[in-house]
Amino acid sequence: MAAKSLAFARALIATNLKAALALRGAFVIQVVFMLLNNGTFFVFWWALMHQVSALRGWRLGDIQLLFGVVAAGFGLAVTVAGGVRHLGRFIEEGDLDTLLTQPRSVLVYALGVRSQPSGFGDLLSGMLFIAWSGQVSWRMVPIVLAVILASALVFVASGIVFFSLAFWLGRVETLARQLWELLITFSLYPEPLFGGMLRLALFTILPAGFVGYLPARVVHAPSLLHVSLLAVGAGTYLALAVLVFDRGLRRYASGSRFSTFG
Amino acid sequence: MMAFIVKYAAFSRISVAQARRERGELYGRIVFFAVILGVFSSLWRAVAEAGMPVAADPKTLVWYLAATEWIVLSAPPIHLDIQEAIRRGDVVYRLGRPASYVIGEFAASLGLLAARAPLLGLTAFLCAFAFTRWIPPLGALAIVVPFGLAAAALMTGLHLWIGLLAFWLEDVSPVYWVWQKLMFVLGGLMMPLELYPQFIQKAAAFTPFPVMLADPASFVVWNRLVTPGALARSLVIWCCATAIAVWWTFRRATSALTINGG
Repeated sequence: MAAKSLAFARALIATNLKAALALRGAFVIQVVFMLLNNGTFFVFWWALMHQVSALRGWRLGDIQLLFGVVAAGFGLAVTVAGGVRHLGRFIEEGDLDTLLTQPRSVLVYALGVRSQPSGFGDLLSGMLFIAWSGQVSWRMVPIVLAVILASALVFVASGIVFFSLAFWLGRVETLARQLWELLITFSLYPEPLFGGMLRLALFTILPAGFVGYLPARVVHAPSLLHVSLLAVGAGTYLALAVLVFDRGLRRYASGSRFSTFG
Repeated sequence: MMAFIVKYAAFSRISVAQARRERGELYGRIVFFAVILGVFSSLWRAVAEAGMPVAADPKTLVWYLAATEWIVLSAPPIHLDIQEAIRRGDVVYRLGRPASYVIGEFAASLGLLAARAPLLGLTAFLCAFAFTRWIPPLGALAIVVPFGLAAAALMTGLHLWIGLLAFWLEDVSPVYWVWQKLMFVLGGLMMPLELYPQFIQKAAAFTPFPVMLADPASFVVWNRLVTPGALARSLVIWCCATAIAVWWTFRRATSALTINGG
């Protein structure tokens, strides 16, 4: 079952990639502008860190690494599973009807049915930021790729949970989008800025810790403990997301709509 | 003239009524605003601990951010609606009406701005006070409010212009991303322009961004970049430039518009 879902996901990714490359001009514009977007955003940190050498122990390279991991993880998530951002609308408007009749996992189909070309720009800029941080060597490449994957999994899992609230609450598009944006916002700032209950929240209900802080820590100073924590965290969030979606799907009411995906 | 005002005021009234019914996005913006101010009050405390070599008090920097974010979050993202109207072809039905499409959209956006600005302003005030336990001189706040509203109106006009680019571009999001990030840096959204390198400050002077953000917000900070008279003059100049750009872009777009179907 898992192998079939994986093969199906691979086919969806390949189809989305072909579709994105079919409009080559639009694809290139989105990627280039996203690179510019991320680069411009980082000017703030660059200017700030030229005023002070470190922020509670974090130097410019550490922030670059964090920014790179989050950007690459987000980029991978919305490129491969871009449907996650539309999940709330699919549920609310009854668009899952078409997917329910298919002999494949509804969740995998819903996630892979859309891809965001700008995600390639995020992924690329993220990798450039990581390389530029001066904290990685060529030997670290497999670890970097693994943490980007873990970050992307947590992004997707969080998105599934946030947007699946539509099964119970109906129109939650705005709320879910805001939660997703809060997750991104928190994950882009150095961990030591947050303390107490907020830091606990950032490793639980709004898992910015598993999207950025812990993956960056694994790249910065790999240890068995951190790698295990990241792997267990990403796996747990994914399992929780699948559980929430499956529970929600039992409550799903058909939209009685005739539509096609593709 | 009176008939003109009454006609377009109706657009504003309708949009205020809609905004009152659909409060989800506004509440989301309020939460996002509170979180951003919380994150930055923590960031500025950390910067102060690190010994930032600038005579900026963390308290005033939080209030500065409250003012700039208030302006940014109050301006409605009208480019998205215009893009959708152009994509779906709805704009064609609006062109035949006895009201200008562009002025109607702008008037509707001003209605949204009027509905949002007071609540977001209250959020800015309460959160900034909660995080700093300090209130700037009321005279300074009394200057920031009218200039902030005028700046948000100018920003709305520029969003309108970006939306009109959808006549040529399939998706205006990439243009908006870069525009937004340039506004962050050249407008001094997150920190005053004086903290950026000289070349950025010089480049910013040739753009409308400081007039929309840094200049109005600087009235709450230790140093005022401009006098109220100079800021009013700059706002008028940039409003005229934006109006001309919108008029010219819309005229070019409609003259080249091909209408298919019926």
